[in-house]
Amino acid sequence: MPGILHSLPYFVAGWLLLCGLYGLVTSKHLVHAVVCLAILQSSTYMLLLAIGYRVGGAAPIFADISTSKLVVDPVVQALMLTDIVVEAVVVALLLAMVVKAHEKSGSVSPNDLRTLRG
Amino acid sequence: MTNPAISPALAVAVPLLSAAVLAAVRKWLTRTAMDLLGLLASLATLAITGVLLYGAVVHGASVYWLGGWWPRGSVAIGIAMVIEPIGVSLAMLAALLTSLSLLFSWRFMDAGGKHLHPLMLIFLAAMCGFSLTGDLFNLFVFFELMSIAAFALCGLKTAEPAPLQGSFNFAITNSVAGFVVLTGIALLYAVTGALNMAQIGLSIGHRHDPLVLFACTLIFCGFLTKAAIVPFHLWLPDAHAVAPTPVCVLFSGLMVELGLYAVARIYSAIFAQSFSPHTQALHNLLFAFAATTVLLAGFMCYAEHHLKRMLAFSTVCHAGLMLAALASGGALGLAAMLTYLVAHAFVKGGLFFLSGVLLHNQRSITERELFAKGRGLPWAAALWILGAVGLAAAPPFALLLGEAAAEHAAELHHLEGLSALFVIGGALTSAAVLRVGMHTFFGWGEGALTDRSAEIGELPETTPEDRKLRPYHLIPPALCMLLAIALFADPHWLRILRDAAAAMASQAAYLHTTYTGQNVPLTQSSWREAIPGAVARSILALVLGLLVALSSVFRNTLPRKLRLGAFLERGFRPLREMQSGHPGDYVLWMTMGIAAFGSAAMLLLRR
Repeated sequence: MPGILHSLPYFVAGWLLLCGLYGLVTSKHLVHAVVCLAILQSSTYMLLLAIGYRVGGAAPIFADISTSKLVVDPVVQALMLTDIVVEAVVVALLLAMVVKAHEKSGSVSPNDLRTLRG
Repeated sequence: MTNPAISPALAVAVPLLSAAVLAAVRKWLTRTAMDLLGLLASLATLAITGVLLYGAVVHGASVYWLGGWWPRGSVAIGIAMVIEPIGVSLAMLAALLTSLSLLFSWRFMDAGGKHLHPLMLIFLAAMCGFSLTGDLFNLFVFFELMSIAAFALCGLKTAEPAPLQGSFNFAITNSVAGFVVLTGIALLYAVTGALNMAQIGLSIGHRHDPLVLFACTLIFCGFLTKAAIVPFHLWLPDAHAVAPTPVCVLFSGLMVELGLYAVARIYSAIFAQSFSPHTQALHNLLFAFAATTVLLAGFMCYAEHHLKRMLAFSTVCHAGLMLAALASGGALGLAAMLTYLVAHAFVKGGLFFLSGVLLHNQRSITERELFAKGRGLPWAAALWILGAVGLAAAPPFALLLGEAAAEHAAELHHLEGLSALFVIGGALTSAAVLRVGMHTFFGWGEGALTDRSAEIGELPETTPEDRKLRPYHLIPPALCMLLAIALFADPHWLRILRDAAAAMASQAAYLHTTYTGQNVPLTQSSWREAIPGAVARSILALVLGLLVALSSVFRNTLPRKLRLGAFLERGFRPLREMQSGHPGDYVLWMTMGIAAFGSAAMLLLRR
């Protein structure tokens, strides 16, 4: 049982990745596509947290615990924070583009956005 | 331990801080002041990277640990910036191209108004950081910073719908690529517990298992998306066709190629030892991707009649040639790729500047509308034709040196078909540029053909009352062409690049430099004997290109069977359909590309 529990986060990460990709490929709405991108990125959060997790580890703040105590990996948490910042910027920028597209063409379908082809 | 003369962090900090200051005070500044300050910040970055390059060449490579966090034993705690000639040269190239672009957009570039300068400087900072860092996660952060600045720059012209499409597709595909890279980095961290490239390389060592292979596939495919290798290339023509001209120069000149640089750097620093029994198989795999890219993009390039879109496909084609050069193997292949990269940046940058000149002067970017309109622009005509010669890698352009090195390396490693690839790629791209030149500047033939994208065209980027050409419109393209020729004339830099490429290709040398901060002097023999063969082949490519272009221009006077140019110009329907403009389709192609790369890697590189 513990084996399955340990690998569960990795499966969830893979599942989220596939969900995001599927959503992006089949998307018929620009906001839907942006949200799918956010879901795709959630898979990286999940993966990073799964990698840094230690069974029985404490929070990596050594102010009130001894330095020899087992803690979870703080590096991946820093990576994840950076990742969240990146996502916030990308999503904000993309949504601004969607608003612009709606202003211009009155549509939020990727099919109507297409002007240059071939 | 030698420290660089000035802190390399300045190469990132100066443009980034100036961007923040410029963005904060832009409301109170006139356009001229913005131009001046933006150009100053970019020139300051150029000076900093120049000093760094001088130090790296004269005193050898060095390492700068941010905040003085030196490694303990083999464990790198801090973040390293590795100052070696190749990374610094790329940063310097970024600063130079940014300066030229800002000069080109001087006062009259309407697009984006005062947002242009801060965004360009952020973009420059990200490119400098990307080329200098020795840390894998930092590479991802700068990759994302570069991408986000690029998305915004690409969509600056919000008066038209096409930039929104281009920018949206660009943002979706490149963000997916970024997350794919991050997943790969996370897996490598799980395997090695390290983020410093040297330390990861050290702890992976000879380890070769599916997990390492999977991580490698994800990282390579992510960076190949930025490098626009088929089938990851679909975003590029949409994005380049709509971005403002100065931005196109940076996109095509350097951003795309930095993806290839990242692949080369990561391969030699991290995976070289792990893949050492399978080097040839990996090179064959990369070469297959490169060959597909060159052929597909070459034919698409000739079938386009929107000037920027045509040049964009030419960039995809040349990125394929650079990957082929890298795949020709070893330090020589790396040197070939880098020589080609630098020379191509100048030639392609010059051509994009000239398309901007036409858009400014004639208010159009479509070959059909521009027909015979360029007759009064002798300087632009001369530079445009020079650019066509450059794209065929013919003398006197430094691309020739890269082609010669790649052919020499392919001969040493028994890689077939590389010379043919260079001839086809060079012929098709230079034919397209020559055809546009004959139509636009000489007015030969009876009007140009057109296609769907070209008819949508592009709105002018400058204010309508002013169509005059000023010196700062023609100085940047002239300087670009001149530099590409000067690099051919002066072989001194080639020796430096050759040795630096030898050091970059050697994992042991990179590890030694990162951990001890000391230079490892490595030398590489010259490929002078391969130059005559390359000259012959590049002239063949140029002549073929000229014939195809002529058969296109004079299609109505030719017998039906000889109308090769007109046939190619119509394009191939499946290839055009692939470029559907739908972000979902692009992501699907990317997914299939990753699956293809991964399964081929599993088959070819298993132990």
